[in-house]
This record gives sequence, C-alpha cells and structure tokens, in this order.
Amino acid sequence: MNAVLAVLKKELIDGLRDRRSMMSAIIFPMIGPLLISFMFNTVTERQRESQDVKIPIVGAEQAPGLVDWIERRGYEVVEGPLDPEAAVREGTVDFVLIIPEDFASDLAQARTAEIELVRDGTKKDVGASIGRARSLVESYGRMMGRLRLIARGISPQLGQPISVETVDIASERQRAAHFMIFIPMYLILAAFITGMNLAVDTTAGERERQSLEPLLINPVSRMSLLLGKWLSAVVFSCAGVVLTMASLVLAMRRVSWQELGIQLNLGAPEVAGVLLATLPLAFFASGAQVLVSSFARSFKEAQTYISLMIIVPMAPSIIAQLYSLGNEWWMAPIPVLGQQVLMTEVVSGEPVSLLSYAATGLSSLVLGLLCVWITARLFTRENVVFGR
Amino acid sequence: MIHIEGLQKHFGAVAAVDGVDFDVPDGQVTGLLGPNGAGKTTTLRMLYGLMRCDRGHMEVDGVDVVRDPQGAQARMGILPDSRGLYPRLTAREHLRYFGQLHGVDGASLEARIDRLIHDLDMGGIADRRTEGFSQGERVKVALGRALVHDPNNVLLDEPTNGLDVMGTRAMRTIIRQMRAAGKCVLFSSHIMQEVSALCDRIVIISAGRIVAQGTPEELLEQSGHDTLEDAFVTLTGIDEVTR
Repeated sequence: MNAVLAVLKKELIDGLRDRRSMMSAIIFPMIGPLLISFMFNTVTERQRESQDVKIPIVGAEQAPGLVDWIERRGYEVVEGPLDPEAAVREGTVDFVLIIPEDFASDLAQARTAEIELVRDGTKKDVGASIGRARSLVESYGRMMGRLRLIARGISPQLGQPISVETVDIASERQRAAHFMIFIPMYLILAAFITGMNLAVDTTAGERERQSLEPLLINPVSRMSLLLGKWLSAVVFSCAGVVLTMASLVLAMRRVSWQELGIQLNLGAPEVAGVLLATLPLAFFASGAQVLVSSFARSFKEAQTYISLMIIVPMAPSIIAQLYSLGNEWWMAPIPVLGQQVLMTEVVSGEPVSLLSYAATGLSSLVLGLLCVWITARLFTRENVVFGR
Repeated sequence: MIHIEGLQKHFGAVAAVDGVDFDVPDGQVTGLLGPNGAGKTTTLRMLYGLMRCDRGHMEVDGVDVVRDPQGAQARMGILPDSRGLYPRLTAREHLRYFGQLHGVDGASLEARIDRLIHDLDMGGIADRRTEGFSQGERVKVALGRALVHDPNNVLLDEPTNGLDVMGTRAMRTIIRQMRAAGKCVLFSSHIMQEVSALCDRIVIISAGRIVAQGTPEELLEQSGHDTLEDAFVTLTGIDEVTR
C-alpha cells in the first residue's frame, strides 16, 4: 500500500512538471467552451438573420394585396433586381419572387395565378428564408381561397377535408438534451484525453527512458507499481473531466438559450449527476491506456496505438445510434455507452436510479482494474520488460 | 553473501548461460569478467529476479531468489545495465522514491539520502532536475538510488561504462569503501584492468560458462601466464577465435 502511494505521488509530481501532460490536461477542457460559444453564436445569429428577411419582389405593383399581407406580418418587401436569375446565381439575393403581368387579371377571373420563385438549389443554408417566403405566399393564397368560398356561400371547411396537427411529445428539456448530445461526447473524450499522456509516460515512457529495469528490481509487486501508475492517470483524467465540465458550464451560462427556443436547466443537481456518471470512466480509460501502451517500445508508438484505440470504446455508441437503439438494460455496463446513456438521461431531467450509476461506474472500475492486472502480468514477462 | 549454483538460461536454441556456479563472499569485491555476450548481464538479471532461470539455484543472504524474489531484492542494491533516470525529478527525489519503494521512509530515509549525497559527492547536483546531467552525474544518481536502503549485497553491471577517468576513480573509491564496510560486492566488466585493480576474487565467464575463478594469483597460476591480461585471453579462449 505504501508502495502504491509512493508511486502515485512520484508520478503525479512527474506529471505536473511535464509540459506535455499538463498541456493536454488543460488545453482540452479549454477548447470545449470555445467550440460551444462559436457554435451557438453562429446558430443564434442565423436565426436572428432569418427573422428579418427582406423579400425581393419583381412586379410588386401587380399584387398590392399580397404586398400588404406580407408587410402586415412584419417583413419588408423590396424591389426585386432587374435580372433575377443572375442576381440569385451571384448570390446578391437568396431568392426572388416574380409576379407576372397577368397576375391581377388571373386573380380577378378566379384562375390560378402563378408566382415564380427563383432560387439556387445548391445553396442549402438559405432554406429557412425561402421556406418563410413560400409559406407567406401560400397562406395568402389560402386566405384568398377561403374568401372566394365564403363569397359563394360555401363553408371553407369543405375545401379542407383533412388537416394535420403536429403534437410534439418531446419536452423542451428533452429537445435541449438532444441538442446537447455533444456535451456527453466531449466529456467522454476528456476522460480519455486528459489522462492519456500520464498513462503513456508511466509505462511506454519508462521503457523509452530505460528506467523500467531499475524500477522493477525494487522489492515491490508489479501490481503495486501499476496500481500507482494507473491511479496517477486516473487523477489526471478526473481533474480533466471536472475542469472540462466547469468550463462547459461557464460557457453555456453565456449563451442565450431562449433565442434558440430551448430550455436548458444545468443546475447543481444536473452537473453533479453528469460528473457522477463520467468520473468512473476515468478508471476504464486510464486502465485501457496503461495496458495498450505497455506493448509499445516508445512514447510515439504508444500514442499511435491509443489514438487508434479510442475508436474501440466509441464503437458501441456509434452502433447504438446507427440502429437508433434506445435505453436498453445491457448498455449500462458497457464503458462509454453506459456513460452516454446515463448523461443523456440526466440532462433530459429524467430521474436516474442509483442502480444505473452503480452499474455503469462499477463496470468501468472493474474493467479498469482488469486492464491493470493484465498489464501487471505482462510486466513479469521478460520479452515485455526488455522489449524484445 | 551470494551463492549461485548450476544456473542455466536459454533464449530459443541459444544457451546464454550454461551451468554457472560461483560464490560472492561478504567483505570482498568479486569481479565477473568476460567478453561482450558472455552471459554476464543475463546472469545478473536472473540473480536480481527480472529473468527466470531455466535451471539452477540462487541465494542472497540465504534467501532463495526464485522462491522469494522480493525478499532477495530487498537485500540487494543493484546498478543494472539500463540506468535511465526521470528527467523531471531531482537527484534527491530519485533517491527518495527508491528508498520509499524499499520501504524506508521518514527521518531515517532523509538522513540516509544526505549521507549518500555526501559520500557520492553529489552536493552540487542534489536538488537539480536530472535532465541534462553528464554521464558521470547520471551514474552517481543511479548508484545512489541503488544504495539508498543500505543493502548488504551490491550488484554493479559494468559500473564504469561511459565514465571518464575521474568518474572511474570515484567509482573505485566507492567500491573500496563498500568492501571496507563489509559488503558483498559483485561487479561485472569486460575490462581486465578494471577488475584487476579492484577485485579480491575474479570469476571469468565465457560463452555462458565459468572458465576459471579465484584470486588474481590463482588465475595466473592456472593459466601459466605472467599478466592477468594474457591469463584472461587464454582462459576465455578468445585467442582461439582470433587466431
């Protein structure tokens, strides 16, 4: 036990003095908030832009009723360009409505009047403003239709045999959780990345520095040595997760969620729940990294293995998403997937049982310990110790 | 005291160590002498428990190395073939870490560290990080951490490798001090002068076998030569290869 503590203390001092380890433990948590601020500011910006859409119309004088209808709904009608197609192609406007000369007469004689909407189908990001323009015109058309029926003494409902009403059963918080799907992902990555350097340095690093042999001749069991090394990586990983969570929370406080139509409650209980779900993952992440890097002869080799390895724990969650599997009982004990399910529940505001926390956390702890035990066994083998 | 009997080790079909027997008594310096690839490092690695022997028996102060490797390791101070340091730790922290791994701690450990820093003349570098240390300074740190638990048996694998003249002289002084303190010292070398300058007893190993052992005088007698170097060449059979 004393040996475990001695190793843990030494590795932590060593890690704190290592620029590489500190960089990954500090920089990674800092990138997340930057990403969030950028992402959400772009989204809100775009929403704000799409709200004050200017609607360019060619031949507006043919349809004063339509113009009036649009303007009363708070949009600005502007004079359309002389060559609409060229203007849309060049991107000076997103779209143009063209009202043909016989529009007024068609309308007057109750024929279907056509309005042309010129757009560039390859531009995806203008879909919202085009959709809005289209629905404005269509709702004007429906209003006209109803008036005509009423003028002929017919109930407008006859012309609308079916109406679809959408009922969104997802609560606002659930929608927020869906929107926030990347926060669990980012925290999971934090657990893997912030402790990685230490995990590599304490195993493959020992071999690269040729300090493994002097270390192993001390009268200490391999398991004690590796427990100390593993725990030091776990400490870094946990610190990284807490730091990431703190900076994410700080960043999200600054985003105006109401503008996005999302209600996000990230109070103390949610933060605690997310941390409780993520932190045990550090046991597994560090254990797997210690095991994998013990096969490597050098730091670089270990990093290569580990960056490949990061795909493996991600695989179950990717598969689960591909087949859109919900929350199944067998997911809890699978590292990464279990944490993801747990965190999504916490952020959605659903009650999470202690059993789910325990199943997910314990499984990560046990699997982490198993990795350490295998590594300890490996370190009794001559070809592993001497890198043959 | 170290006792080795019938030691064998194969790497695949190659017999690296093929029936090695010798004893290392307390209060003496014993040299394990042999050309490169003779099996010196492999023998030592089995003795300090990092390699398993295929056959044989090894005891350190009566503790069976195979049955109780940690018990044997606790009785040995070892300067192994690879002597990598932690570049971000100071010399003193190296000594403290290894002391703690040997179960020494607290005031007695600090006192021991201060003693070693004085004995090994490390005062100027004790609290500097080892990054950028010269070869001589690195060996001092490696030796210091090997001796921090004040072991009765000292194993040194080619201790003067990479040392300059001053470093080599300092190492000899340290080895003599250990002998004076009644320690059991075993060091390996492929350099004749090195061994003849220090050793009470010499064990010559070649191609995994002990070809001769005894005091320098006994070896001269066995080989029929006037100088130890000629004796070494004859006894190891190097001359047959080069001729």
